[in-house]
Amino acid sequence: MAEAQFRVVHYVNQFFGQIGGEEKADIPPLSRDGAVGPAVGLNAAMGGKGVVVGTVICGDTYFNEHLDEAARQVGDMISAYAPDVVVVGPAFNAGRYGVACGAVAQVVSETLGVPVVGGMYEENPGVEMYARYGYFLRTRDNAAGMRQALPAIAKLATRLGLGQEIGSPEEEGYFPRGVRKNYFAGERGSARAVNMLIKKLKGEQFETEYPMPVFDRVDPNPAVGDMRNAVIALVTSGGIVPKGNPDKIESSSASKYGKYDLEKVDALSEETHETAHGGYDPVYANADPNRVLPVDAMRELEREGRIKRLHRYFYSTVGNGTSVANAKKYATQIAQELRNDGVTAVTLTST
Amino acid sequence: MDLGNQARIKELAEKYGKDDIVVIIGGAEAEASGLAVETVANGDPAFAGPLAGVQLGLKAYHVVEPEIKDEIDADVYDEQVGMMEMVLDVDAIIAECRSIREQFLGSE
Repeated sequence: MAEAQFRVVHYVNQFFGQIGGEEKADIPPLSRDGAVGPAVGLNAAMGGKGVVVGTVICGDTYFNEHLDEAARQVGDMISAYAPDVVVVGPAFNAGRYGVACGAVAQVVSETLGVPVVGGMYEENPGVEMYARYGYFLRTRDNAAGMRQALPAIAKLATRLGLGQEIGSPEEEGYFPRGVRKNYFAGERGSARAVNMLIKKLKGEQFETEYPMPVFDRVDPNPAVGDMRNAVIALVTSGGIVPKGNPDKIESSSASKYGKYDLEKVDALSEETHETAHGGYDPVYANADPNRVLPVDAMRELEREGRIKRLHRYFYSTVGNGTSVANAKKYATQIAQELRNDGVTAVTLTST
Repeated sequence: MDLGNQARIKELAEKYGKDDIVVIIGGAEAEASGLAVETVANGDPAFAGPLAGVQLGLKAYHVVEPEIKDEIDADVYDEQVGMMEMVLDVDAIIAECRSIREQFLGSE
C-alpha cells in the first residue's frame, strides 16, 4: 500500500495562476482543485511524498487594496483543503505579490498553525514585513529563478510535511524568522568571544552570535533658503513637557509623543515646563527648559524678522531607550501633521 | 516566454505536429534565450503560461545559431540581423541554447 501523502495548498497570484497579467490583477480570490501553475512543478518535485490538493489564486492589486479582507478570504479557502503544509509564491522581487504571500503566511500560521514555505528576493518588501511567518527561501529577483527556487521549496515543504527538523536560516537558506533557539555550545561564552576576537585581529572570517540591526540613512533635505518666510516648528526627543507631564510620557522607552501649545508663550520656565527624560541629570533642563527646547531663541528670531514665525505647537517625546521602529512611527505622524499645517522646517533638539 | 506567444506556439504545435515545426527565437541574451528553448521543449520553467507542465518537444534555435544563419541569404541576414549580431554575446547564446536542447531533447 502506498504511504499516506501529506496535503499541500499553493497560493499564487493571477499571473502564475494562469488567469492573466496586470489587466487581471484586480480579481478577487478563487480556488481551484489540484495544481495550477508552479504547483504543477511543485507536485512533481515532491516525488509523490506530498500532493497539491488545491491552488488558491488572487490578483495582486485586489489583495493589496483589500489586505485584511483578502487575507481572510484566502485563509478560508486554504483552510477548506485541510492542508499539512502551505506554499506561497515564490514572489521573487514582485512587491505586491511578496506582500500578498507574506500576509497569507501570517493568516495561515496564526489561524491554522500550519507551516508555510515561500520564496522571495531579499529586497522584496514582503521579506521585512512577513519573513517571521514562514520559511521564505532566498530567490533571484525574477521568474527566471523559478528553476532553482521550486525544487528548493519542494524539498523544504516535503521535510515539513514529513515532520522533519528544519535547521537554522544559514544552513537552510531561508530568511531569519526572529526565532531564538537554545542550544548547548561546546565552549562557554568567554572562550567563544576570545576566539572571535583573535580571528578578527588576524583579519579572518568570523561569525557574530549577535548580528546588529541595519539602520537606514536619511539624506538631508535641501536648505530652506528663504528663512524670512519660513514657519519653523520645534520638535524634541529631549522630553520637554508642560509641568506635571500631562500625557505621562515615560522617562524611558516612550510609548507616545505629546503635542503642546506655545500660543502666547514667550519663553519656557521652571514654573511652566520640565523634562520627562530619564538617563541624564535633569537639573539644568528643569531650571531652564529653553536649554533643551529653545523657545526663547526662536521668539527672538521671530521678533527680528529672521523667520516668519514659530509654529504654534511643539512635539515632544523621550529618546531614552525608545525603539527605532517607534521613533520612526512618531516621526511619520508628526511630519505629516507639520506638513498639513504648512510648516516649512523643523528645529530638532535632543538632550 | 510571453504568455501570448506560449499560447500561439501551443496552438500551432497541436495543428501541425511537432515534426514540422522549428521555433526561431531572437532573445537578447543567453539566459532568456535558454528559457525560451526550454519552454517549447519541456514546458514553461516559470510555470506561468499555457505551456506550464506541457512538453511540446519542439526544437528551438536562436537566429544567430549556424543552423539557422546558414540557411538565410547572407545579404538579407546582414540587413536584418547583422547589426544586432554585433552587440549580442553570440557565443554565450549559442552555448546556452545548445545545452538546453541537449538537456531536454537529447543529442542533436
